[in-house]
Amino acid sequence: MGAGSAPRLSGMQRQALSLYRGFLRVARSKSPEDRSKIESLVSAEFRKNSKLVDRKNFLYIEYLLRRGKKQLDQLKSPDTVSLSSLNVNTSESEK
Amino acid sequence: MAANLVRRSISKIPSSYPASSVIFSRHHASEAQGAAEPKATQSSNTKTFSIYRWNPDSPSKPELKNYEINLKECGPMVLDALIKIKNEIDPSLTFRRSCREGICGSCAMNIDGCNGLACLTKIPDARAGATTITPLPHMFVIKDLVVDMTNFYNQYKSIEPWLKRKNPPETKGKEIFQSKEDRKKLDGMYECILCACCSTSCPSYWWNPESYLGPAALLHAHRWIADSRDEYTKERLQAINDEYKLYRCHTILNCARACPKGLNPGKQIQSVKHLQLSS
Repeated sequence: MGAGSAPRLSGMQRQALSLYRGFLRVARSKSPEDRSKIESLVSAEFRKNSKLVDRKNFLYIEYLLRRGKKQLDQLKSPDTVSLSSLNVNTSESEK
Repeated sequence: MAANLVRRSISKIPSSYPASSVIFSRHHASEAQGAAEPKATQSSNTKTFSIYRWNPDSPSKPELKNYEINLKECGPMVLDALIKIKNEIDPSLTFRRSCREGICGSCAMNIDGCNGLACLTKIPDARAGATTITPLPHMFVIKDLVVDMTNFYNQYKSIEPWLKRKNPPETKGKEIFQSKEDRKKLDGMYECILCACCSTSCPSYWWNPESYLGPAALLHAHRWIADSRDEYTKERLQAINDEYKLYRCHTILNCARACPKGLNPGKQIQSVKHLQLSS
């Protein structure tokens, strides 16, 4: 992600941050243990991608933003209770 | 080619039976081989396909990959070639497909510059050069030939494509009656399979995909406006009487050219515009 607090963020960086904020806001509306689970998963995913993905790879970043927005819309609905992720490489699953 | 397969499978089955039928089956096998050999000595008809590939998990940019197919061993349609490539050459090729007969609309893609269904488009002649297969234009790509259709479906949902009535039906317990002439008015609109070939061929839809509804949604809007059983005609007309939703159409008529089912969305949009004038 961009350096520190002062420098101006690009449009794409702002989109990523607002998506992150959106996820955290939705997490607040769920139950406490689900909330901590969602927060840990989402922050881990965002931090991992910020290190792995090249800043100039706009195509991939936009793809991730679109995917994230769809997942956020699904999470927003009151029927969705929690989030879980599956780690394919090490075949570990957190529920 | 199918006949050879059938003969070979018949010869396999009796091989578990007693000796007399084994000899019989061997006779079948040699007959099949005898028939196959003259075909193999004929020159194979090789066709090159340039297919758009992009994997979101890899950091590389999208590219056109070339695949060679022997047309003698492949079905006549582009979908047969894609399935053959996926089975034999590159299993990572990703595309949508379902009915293989042009009724589901899943395999819509851009073949040699024209939008169409892969299962209905014949493979052009090998002598004409390589065939380029790309996803539907100006749509976000999820992977290879698979595009994101959510905006398209949301626009279809926004015109409320179901029957709406203010009063209960006159004949209680029975269906709402419709004369043959009224039913004929729906011909040319009900056949739409929502393949998105028309909308993605419209330049006006390329430049305003979020605000312009596109030919497919407008065709369905007219289908419900023209339905004699529907009682919300005025509200439906008012809902799309928007500068962006309807009037981005400039009768480019690419939609009529692209439709794989032979429908004319441009004509239906003109009917809607006429109705707007009179209401």
